[in-house]
Amino acid sequence: MVDLPSPSRAAAPVVRDSAFRVRMRRVRDLTAQILSNPATVIGSVIILAMFAMAIFAPWLTAPNTPDPYQMPRDWAATRMPPGTPGYLLGTTNEGGDVLYGVIWGARMSLQLSLVVVGSVLVIGCIIGSLAGFIGGKLDEILMRIVDVFLSIPELIFALAIAAVLGPSFGNIMFALAMVMWVKYARIMRARVIQIKNSEYIDAARIIGDSKLNIYLRDILPNSFTPVMVQATLDMGNVVLIAATLSFIGLGEAGIAEWGVLVSEGQAGIASGRWWASTFPGLMIFLWGLAFNLVGDGLRDALDPRTESSR
Amino acid sequence: MQLRDYVIRRLLVLPFLIIGVSMIVFALTRVGGSPIGIYLSHEMTPAQVAEIEARFHLDKSLPVQYFYWARGVLQGDFGWSGVSVAPVAEVFPKKLAATLELSVASGIVAVVMGLWLGTYAGARRNRPADHITRVVAVTGASMPNFWLAILLLIIFWAQLGWMPIGRSTPEIIALVPTRTGLYTIDALLAGNLVAFGDALWHLILPAITLGYGATAIIARMMRSALVEELQLDYVDAARAKGLPERLVLKKHARRNALIPTVTVIGLTFGFLLQGTVSVEIIFRWPGIGKWMADSVLRGDQATLMTYVLFTSIVFLVLNLIVDVIYANLDRRVELGK
Repeated sequence: MVDLPSPSRAAAPVVRDSAFRVRMRRVRDLTAQILSNPATVIGSVIILAMFAMAIFAPWLTAPNTPDPYQMPRDWAATRMPPGTPGYLLGTTNEGGDVLYGVIWGARMSLQLSLVVVGSVLVIGCIIGSLAGFIGGKLDEILMRIVDVFLSIPELIFALAIAAVLGPSFGNIMFALAMVMWVKYARIMRARVIQIKNSEYIDAARIIGDSKLNIYLRDILPNSFTPVMVQATLDMGNVVLIAATLSFIGLGEAGIAEWGVLVSEGQAGIASGRWWASTFPGLMIFLWGLAFNLVGDGLRDALDPRTESSR
Repeated sequence: MQLRDYVIRRLLVLPFLIIGVSMIVFALTRVGGSPIGIYLSHEMTPAQVAEIEARFHLDKSLPVQYFYWARGVLQGDFGWSGVSVAPVAEVFPKKLAATLELSVASGIVAVVMGLWLGTYAGARRNRPADHITRVVAVTGASMPNFWLAILLLIIFWAQLGWMPIGRSTPEIIALVPTRTGLYTIDALLAGNLVAFGDALWHLILPAITLGYGATAIIARMMRSALVEELQLDYVDAARAKGLPERLVLKKHARRNALIPTVTVIGLTFGFLLQGTVSVEIIFRWPGIGKWMADSVLRGDQATLMTYVLFTSIVFLVLNLIVDVIYANLDRRVELGK
């Protein structure tokens, strides 16, 4: 009989090193594939521009004091059309600089999307993966809760939650997180169940790996692909939904948030002042578009079966 | 699993989902402050307040309160609408008719435009028409419909003055007797073509705005389904026997490509329902969406929660219908998974 090495994690470093290389090669292939799709490239460029605008906002325009997220007001320059010196995109009814709103609105959107998508990713992945991995009663109960949550249309649900909590930007973020985690839980659960039944998990079980080890080392790291695609798409969606809620009236008046700005600019369109709504709305559109393009590209690259742009 | 079993199982689960949704709605009404706030005033003595609390069962435990609330809903008691100063159950049907007219119109726009665009693009793969359709499809998914509405208003209402705002010209519709509550249908039933034209004219912009997103989804689905069909052998066979390309497309490929598209069409109706809120605000359309938005701003919980409950039930039933149709059309679908 051949003397087999003891079946333990002692051999793991070597294995993991090559696994790491395989993973790096995959990332490289994926990047190449993504960059070969012009739509994805356009989306990435828009995202980079938006992020740069959000991060460098204080250097692009002088922050309003004391709260930079409040629109500055210049009562000497109300209702100026675009192109007015000092006000490239014009001003609002209250003399707010539309360009200021566009730039600081990007910063708000970046915060909103990172906080909301980040938290639903963590919550959804923990709940979904545990449900899928442990199974049984726990899975049954959690998934029935998920079913009920998914029965209420996303926008309406978020609107109702934000409405009972009262108009504020923080409440909008909370409402979005409350509504969105379920999608992640469901996607994650399906993926974990799929992996749980694969052969290499059987192998890990046979060599006597503990359940916790299998969960943390084998299942979790391999389960993130589908949720990452969803997260990319939702980076755009949350901004779109939040802007809709703000537009309906759940945002705070006077803040530099795109939905609020579109809503406040609406009053001027009858008298021909189109700019106060148009530019912030364009930003919402571009933000959503960019993440949709990249999300679709990512999905095509990761899952060739659902290729949509043949 | 048999199709019949599948349908029965889905139907059995449906009431439980609706109960679950109603619990969430009930919980929301309790989070949002006292549900009897609109009945109270500062002059009331504590005894009077307690009496009102007792009348609305607020002195009981939460499960008991839920029971009374659910019983009221089942008996058609949805509470008092502070915005409309009337019982919710009384105002709801009138508002619903306005929303229904708008969503059906935008549904028609979306289906006609979506199928046409999708077929046109799918048959001209990778040519300019196809690229344009793809742009429409991608922009449709990320277009905030309130912004599209404002852009259309800026152009066609504020600048050109071609299109009106609102649901109808009050003097014209006043002459039409109300039968269905749908202005276009009522006008036709009364044989009043002027009123019909007026109602239709008011309907066009909001219907296009609301239908744009759904048009994009349908066009995209139709295009990819058609592209897939056109690569199959039977299409080559049809071409080989000398059938003109127009007929190959119309009689063979398009018919099969419709199968996956039909299911998407069902799902987009839920999409339309959500979209009515902002579109109705901007076009001052007196439907349940605008009503809902007004209630949000004025803290009218009874209206808000009725709306949530209603849309969720519609959403659930629609999803069920779509799933069943899909399972029926395509026997390869694995049921119960």
